[in-house]
Amino acid sequence: MYLDLHSHSVSSDDSRARVEQYVKRVQFLREKGYTVDGIVLTEHRKFDFDKDYSQLAAEYNLLVLKGSELDTRYGHFLVYGVTEALAKEINLADVRLDARELMQAARRHQAIAIPAHPGRFGIGLVDYMEQGESFADVQIVERLNGGSRAGENERADQLCVEQNYRGTGGSDAHLTSQIAACLTSFPTRIQNEQDLVEALLTGDFTPVWLEDTRQG
Amino acid sequence: MTPGNRPYFEDIELGSEIGPRELVATDENVATFCRLWGNPMPNRFTDPAIAEKSGLPGPIVPGVMSMAIMSQALTDWAGPESLKDLDLVFRQPVPHNQPLLISATVTDTRQDDGENLVECDVLMTGTAGERYVGGTALIALPSKGG
Repeated sequence: MYLDLHSHSVSSDDSRARVEQYVKRVQFLREKGYTVDGIVLTEHRKFDFDKDYSQLAAEYNLLVLKGSELDTRYGHFLVYGVTEALAKEINLADVRLDARELMQAARRHQAIAIPAHPGRFGIGLVDYMEQGESFADVQIVERLNGGSRAGENERADQLCVEQNYRGTGGSDAHLTSQIAACLTSFPTRIQNEQDLVEALLTGDFTPVWLEDTRQG
Repeated sequence: MTPGNRPYFEDIELGSEIGPRELVATDENVATFCRLWGNPMPNRFTDPAIAEKSGLPGPIVPGVMSMAIMSQALTDWAGPESLKDLDLVFRQPVPHNQPLLISATVTDTRQDDGENLVECDVLMTGTAGERYVGGTALIALPSKGG
């Protein structure tokens, strides 16, 4: 199945897309022959415990999961499987989180934290690694990001090859028309956030462009 | 299309693309804008040293000028009184003397209170994929039925 692992709704201060608009846009893409099975809302510096999109998801036969995109001293990290216990241990709103502590805390709480857009110039993990930082717990990074400038996804590609990292794909959508520009292909069926964490831990997934999902 | 070569509401489909329009905001364009705007010069929009002191890589295009550029792209397409709302997020400083691409994508069409409304995502990007400014616009179009 194809999931967009990185998107922002109006719950993030810099997005102008409502979840309902994303869901309708996915319907539009499906009518054009693309396959999109789900999206993950990774809101900035928060997790929306109080938001329930299950009815909307069922209405449009689309998986709508929730995650977070957190700010660390080593760039942004996408966190999947966020629990209340993790949110008690880590201040999700902190803009200077320790990335290594975040990754370890996530695993203690059956979640997973992975670097977002590591090739982004100036703020991506690649820049920090070039400065001599090392991250023993990183095994997966976001390899395809729909918001990347020229050269940034290529840097993420190179990082994956050199470090033998697995790579995901996500649109980083902040506007309706940007949803599902990049996705992650999983061979297994995912129904909830915990399934997603387990699927990521298997390492069996690949990043794809929307065009790669086209039928016929 | 209308006699003025503007679109009718019925011409618009979900996913329709507007643009891209390419333009360059030159040093001279920005200085002219600042003069008309009444912003005393030199300032961070016109002077490299002042921009650098503000932590900018160079003089930038004023946000209100970027907004005007994006508005004009939409009103040139749909007509001068068509733009009902424009809600923008300024994500990166907009540079002078570089190609800027203005584009929009229709994300919703609806009839509301007697108006034929088209909702669009609107973007100002660079040629290397830089997302300078993005947001949404609401545009009212005439109907073929009058």
